[in-house]
Amino acid sequence: MARRIGTAVVVGSLISLAPAAALAEHDHTFMMSDSRDPASSEISAGVSIEAAQFDNGTYIGSYQGVLPQISWMRGRFGASATIGLYHLEENGLAVNGIGDAMATAHVTVWSNAAIETGVAMHVMVPTGSELENLGMGHAMAMPSAWGVWRLHPVTLTASAGYNRALISLDGEHHDHGPMPLVDPMNLQEVAWNAGADVELGAHVHVGGHLLGGIPIGMGINRVVGGGRVAWGTSRVSTGAELQLGLAGDPFSIRGVVETALRF
Amino acid sequence: MRLIALSLFVLAACANSATPTPTMAACPDPDPMSLTWDSFGMQFMTTYCTDCHASDLKHTQRNGAPLYHDYDTLMGVLETPEHVDEYAGSGLTVTNTEMPPSQCPTMPGGSLNRDCPQPTEEERKNLSIWLACEQNRPH
Repeated sequence: MARRIGTAVVVGSLISLAPAAALAEHDHTFMMSDSRDPASSEISAGVSIEAAQFDNGTYIGSYQGVLPQISWMRGRFGASATIGLYHLEENGLAVNGIGDAMATAHVTVWSNAAIETGVAMHVMVPTGSELENLGMGHAMAMPSAWGVWRLHPVTLTASAGYNRALISLDGEHHDHGPMPLVDPMNLQEVAWNAGADVELGAHVHVGGHLLGGIPIGMGINRVVGGGRVAWGTSRVSTGAELQLGLAGDPFSIRGVVETALRF
Repeated sequence: MRLIALSLFVLAACANSATPTPTMAACPDPDPMSLTWDSFGMQFMTTYCTDCHASDLKHTQRNGAPLYHDYDTLMGVLETPEHVDEYAGSGLTVTNTEMPPSQCPTMPGGSLNRDCPQPTEEERKNLSIWLACEQNRPH
């Protein structure tokens, strides 16, 4: 069970590196058991529902999102893709639309019974409307590294990555600060995530984590704190998380509920 | 894996390409002073912008316009001239038509219930030139 938690948190950490905390902070990975056959592939499908309120000084409002996700894993390798569908209210205007899409590839580089490390690459595709504050308006590349330390019943995780907009950063564009509203980040930043989860028994886990983005050059430091509870088996998992924007105004408060099924 | 690859292909095909872009318009040298706040800017802003971009509108009345992007005064425009240029201006290489939007309020701060008047191409070019000139003038 400890290893199952570990693997779960690993992938959770990976996802949390994605700016889209939406894509993000999601742990539908408690189902990822070490009983997995390394020689066979597995597919999982999940959906997250989130709701948030924000006030970043320029925009005041709220949003609700539905984020389907599909994942593939084989041995040490994995990949996933997700995109959000949002209802956003910003300064009195209500819009509906898709957000930026995220694709992730990750690999476990080294592991033993207690420690697991790996690397990942997230790529964000600008499918969301920049004008409506649903997307960044450009692609992002986000390489990262992560590690997990299992101390049954506790699992500690940490990860760090580099988020970079695939555009010129010469500052010729008018700066609105971190964008988009549904999952803000800087044009160039160091992303980080640290957390801990505890197994309570009966497939139930509770945990908390901090994550954020430290801008490189122009931007705003961002910190999010979250507490979560999750239940998972080898086939299905469900979790809920409450998050607070602690710095940088990514949102005031956000709730995320998620469930996923492995095939 | 093929399903994920197909998903990525579809996502890439759906990439949203509407991006506000600086026009890089330049003020003639010397400044002819033919485009000023009184002769051009105020009328342009009143006609196309201040139904939502006005300092007396609270956030729920702005129909999505960001706070502190208020164009009912010259100094307000000069707080964010790049924003105006990137959303409504026109230059040699680009014409930005993100603003005005398609729907506008009949009264400032009201609901979106009428088609927005749209600037002509010449007005958009003059907007970008005026902004370039105005930023270099003493205030």
